[in-house]
Amino acid sequence: MFDDILHIFYPRSYTLGNGKEVKEKFNPFPYLLILFIAIVIGLSVFTRVNLTALIKRGNNFFDIVRAMIPPNWDYWPTMEKAMLDTINMSLLGSVFGCAVALPVSFYLSSNFKLNKIYLVSHRLALSMLRTLPILVLAFFFRTVLGIGAMAGTLAISVFSYTICVKMMYEYIETLDMGAYEALESTGASRLKCILGAVWPQVKGFFLSTFLYCFETNVKSAAILGFVGAGGIGLNISGQLTLRRYGNLGLVLISMTVTIMVLEAVTRYARRKLVTG
Amino acid sequence: MNTSLLEQQYKRYPKAWPQFVIGFVAIVAVIIIWNVTVSFGGFTERGWGMLALAFQGLVRPSWAVISDLGPTGLLMMLAETFAIGFLGTVFGTIIAIPLAFISSRNIAPRWVNIITLGFITIIRAFPSLMYGIMFVKTVGTGAFAGVLTMTIGSVGMLSKMMVESVEDIDPGIIESLDAAGCTGFQKVRYGIMPQLSSSIISNVLYRLDINVKNASVLGLVSAGGIGAQLIFAIQSRRWDDIGAMVWGLVILVLAIEYASTKIRNSLAAKS
Repeated sequence: MFDDILHIFYPRSYTLGNGKEVKEKFNPFPYLLILFIAIVIGLSVFTRVNLTALIKRGNNFFDIVRAMIPPNWDYWPTMEKAMLDTINMSLLGSVFGCAVALPVSFYLSSNFKLNKIYLVSHRLALSMLRTLPILVLAFFFRTVLGIGAMAGTLAISVFSYTICVKMMYEYIETLDMGAYEALESTGASRLKCILGAVWPQVKGFFLSTFLYCFETNVKSAAILGFVGAGGIGLNISGQLTLRRYGNLGLVLISMTVTIMVLEAVTRYARRKLVTG
Repeated sequence: MNTSLLEQQYKRYPKAWPQFVIGFVAIVAVIIIWNVTVSFGGFTERGWGMLALAFQGLVRPSWAVISDLGPTGLLMMLAETFAIGFLGTVFGTIIAIPLAFISSRNIAPRWVNIITLGFITIIRAFPSLMYGIMFVKTVGTGAFAGVLTMTIGSVGMLSKMMVESVEDIDPGIIESLDAAGCTGFQKVRYGIMPQLSSSIISNVLYRLDINVKNASVLGLVSAGGIGAQLIFAIQSRRWDDIGAMVWGLVILVLAIEYASTKIRNSLAAKS
């Protein structure tokens, strides 16, 4: 029994009848598991993970949830505008971001053999921009432009732009370039080649990318108000600090319904776009 | 004869005008929504100058922040951000795997699936920063609240993705192991794990990417990470400090993204 446990860590060796020794293949998995557990424990100590506090005061969390349960319907007229703003900001941001992204993504796909230095530097700048969370962008725009939906819309535009460009150029690079070359050989200009041979191939994917951006951006737009960049987030953080949980419950219910409806609609539309 | 054939072909050609009408309506709608939602009040005091200063900060980051090894230094803050994202992913995975199994159609009865899937949808619908505020009220400020927030966010997405791969399990393999007389453990080890492990690992790595990135804004609700210092720096317009923190964040996130994409691609190539 004890021997079996030991052999988890080092391979068994067998002596065959002809005196030859055969070793099992070495399996690094147990060592990696121990290393992994050590890392998790180390990081838990570092971030002061405290399960007893969670168990002892965990019902505070559910107290907040329970206090939301009869939502305060009278709050609706106050938050109506903010809720609409959230959806509109997301729509506008996605439209602008994706509209700018479409031509740029053709420049950034390597199969058109454009300027290499421009391509690499622009891609690098894009991936740097992509690593910044949308809230930091929104906070920056709020500082520059002042409080309001403008800052949020700009932040969403920049964010959608980076996402859309990346998805588009990766898709364009996988396309069949035969039609493009055929049009090129007839002497068509580059714009006409793209419109005639590449655009029909990417149309569906572009629209579905746009819908994906719109859908995810509604969620991010909901938190942009935390930093004063417009939308429903201001209501969430405000009612939470004021401890008016009934109002918060209404905000969350309307957000859940909005997101579920949008998800259903965009999923349907995207399936249509991909198949038809 | 020839002309009529040509005309027939022209009639079969798809009409372009519906696209133009849709495009026109979409543009008008965007303009209307723009006027309803956004009021462009111009740049606040010296907005353009501030943009220039921000760029200057990126070019010339503050060395004081970078070389500071204390708790407010860049390295410690990045380490905390990474720790929050990593632990959130690990704990989230531990919760998400059983949840995904009981919400798959081929494992549990339908009414259980509907309850758990509804639970997952509700979790996913709320913004994660709101969980951040609620956890800060529950366990106090600090990185632990951040870990809990990231855990909940990961559970929502991971279990939704895992349900799809669990429902794709090929029952034939398990049946044949059954026929060979394998025990329950052996069926799980050799029948289920090889089918699931690569898709689960790639989903988890993808989530790790997202979590580390999102952990950098948790500081906004004082749930740990680099966010608090970053927001303070933007508020008080210390552009060189912002530059240092943004560079650190970019390098951390890009490194994790690079590693996780590499591993995921090699997993996809193997399976």
